[in-house]
Amino acid sequence: MEVTRMSSTASRTYLDQFPAEAKVIKAAFWSSFMALAIGGLLGLVQALHRTDVLRFIDSADYYTVLTAHGILLAITFTIFFLVGIFTWAVTTSLDRGVVDIRFTWAWYIMMVVGTILVGVSILGGVVDAIPMYADVLFTFYAPLQAHPAFYVGLVLFVVGSWLAGADWFRTWWAWRKENPDERIPLPTFMALTTTLFWYLCTLGVALSILVFLLPWSLGIVDSVNPLLTRTLFWYFGHAVVYFWLMPAYMMWYIMLPKLSGGKLFSDPLARVVFVLFLLLSTPVGIHHQYLDPGIAEGYKFIAMTNTMFLLLPSLLTAFTVVASMEHGARQRGGTGYLGWLKALPWRDPVFTGMALAGLMFAAAGFSGMINAGMNINYLVHNSWWVVGHFHLTVGTAVALTFMAAAYWFIPQVTGKELWSRQLALGQVLVWFVGMTFMSNAMHRAGLFGMPRRTAEPQYQGFNFDPAVGTVGEINAQVALGAVLLTVALAMFLLNMVLTSFNDDSDSLPANTYAGTLSGPEDSPAVLDNLKLWTAIAVVLVIVGYTLPLASIVESGGLFGPDIGGFQLAIETDPALVLESVREVMP
Amino acid sequence: MASATEQRETDQVREIGHEEYDPVGTAILIGIYFLILVLLWLFMYFVEFLGNGPTVVGALLTVVGLA
Ligand code: HEM
Ligand SMILES: [Cu+2]
Repeated sequence: MEVTRMSSTASRTYLDQFPAEAKVIKAAFWSSFMALAIGGLLGLVQALHRTDVLRFIDSADYYTVLTAHGILLAITFTIFFLVGIFTWAVTTSLDRGVVDIRFTWAWYIMMVVGTILVGVSILGGVVDAIPMYADVLFTFYAPLQAHPAFYVGLVLFVVGSWLAGADWFRTWWAWRKENPDERIPLPTFMALTTTLFWYLCTLGVALSILVFLLPWSLGIVDSVNPLLTRTLFWYFGHAVVYFWLMPAYMMWYIMLPKLSGGKLFSDPLARVVFVLFLLLSTPVGIHHQYLDPGIAEGYKFIAMTNTMFLLLPSLLTAFTVVASMEHGARQRGGTGYLGWLKALPWRDPVFTGMALAGLMFAAAGFSGMINAGMNINYLVHNSWWVVGHFHLTVGTAVALTFMAAAYWFIPQVTGKELWSRQLALGQVLVWFVGMTFMSNAMHRAGLFGMPRRTAEPQYQGFNFDPAVGTVGEINAQVALGAVLLTVALAMFLLNMVLTSFNDDSDSLPANTYAGTLSGPEDSPAVLDNLKLWTAIAVVLVIVGYTLPLASIVESGGLFGPDIGGFQLAIETDPALVLESVREVMP
Repeated sequence: MASATEQRETDQVREIGHEEYDPVGTAILIGIYFLILVLLWLFMYFVEFLGNGPTVVGALLTVVGLA
């Protein structure tokens, strides 16, 4: 699709084109950065505490910190950034603003209010003056119980994101009226398909919160079925990982080719990938529950099969994105079988950050395949391996792509030049190196059985037995990695803050994204039939979940066999500890 | 309609169209990646056996000398 017509907007930044939208996007980005700053710092606290390098919090408070780290980074940081990027993508690619900017502000503010409720209730776990608690970890299923404010906050945040989706759809509908015969522009297509599976998967968690957890926390019902709330959480919990990932994929598809000096290899392939994610993101959640005794092996096997199919779109992405980069490199004069790699713009922090993020994602592909296998999952389940895995995926593939993207987006939405490209380039490298240390050590720790979510994994009368290396060496790598990551985080935030103090610049690049070698006209129109794909996605969910849910309810009851809640005690009762020790000791 | 798609390239020394472009480098990289995956998979089985004694295929252990 060679577009010859030069649009009048070609040399303008996003701020020039859409000043009102740029403000909301900027606010969303800053909300996201704030979550990143606090959450990242808490990550350092955890890493130093676990490895016993530095312990300045009470071990009982570790779980409050862990909850805050998980929620702030995996939910708040990622989703605020996502709504910013998607709003940019929809408006830029449709070349029109949102229908009503007040509506856009409304959903943003709703998400902020939700976040504050959630944040304050978690903080209550360590601040006595706040009569709340939410030490439920970011997975928040029963029997751990939080203060009602925590659940209300989550609901507001999610409903806010639903309204954001509605905003993108409205904008698209308005555009379609004016352009009835056009294909959906690729960035909008990506935002809409992602929104659709977000609606589908968040239904599970909405059900879990509104019907079970919130009434239970309010004391309206006095028991829940923990396995049911777990299953409903994971019904959402796998799809949410793709929700984080899709904006990163969008960046890889529409920004990386441009930054490399080339074009997206194939628009149709990109559409196929996003359709596959719409279809398969949700009916796989049970792969997080391979070790749950209450679910029959057969259902787990179905989830595993779906999961393996889900590898397909990611492998397609690897091919398409790398081929687009190669195209750019060759247009820039690169030659040879692999020599073209040298022609890529490695001095550009936006490019390098995203490319390194993609490289780490490839490594995560391996540990993900291990996680996904039903039998070999037993080896790594709930160990630190899993934490190592998702610091490669959400913690780097997503987080580093977002940070790199920010180096391009913040100038676009503020009209100010990035304070330092040098610092930015250093930052993405330090993050990469830090994560290499931390994540590889976590993976290895998991292999010899070191558990995740444990304040003090040092046991009396028992020593871990690594096949290679020592526990001390692994701890040192985790601590060093965590320090490097925190340094990288500080470099990022410093650059962002100083950028916002910069003067307005008029030498900024125009707001554009990559063209395509093979455009939408090469793909069947049915790919754009969102109703069809949504219908199939719903059918797959019904097929994948009806029987397991029915059998969970049948064996455990809708509200469970009289399960009361646990609120992680601030002071541990020694009698209770003894009792639980007796339970596990033969 | 794609008015916002990139039109010009600053550092571009040649234009390569869809027909003439053949992503061999990509094929090689993906090939290397698959090779790494296969090797890691094999390695993973060793880790499993090394750590936990005979699990699924006890006989294989003696063959590869790990038991
Ligand atoms: C400064 C960088 C970071 C450091 C030092 C760090 C450190 C850690 C550590 C040590 C744990 C494990 C705690 C345990 O198992 O006991 C952890 C858990 C976790 N991290 Fe990070 N992390 C960082 C960045 C991130 C980022 C960017 C994300 C996501 C965007 C993230 C998401 C998570 C999640 C979801 C958990 C699991 C929480 C739970 O088990 O409930 N982390 N982190
Ligand atoms: Cu999953």
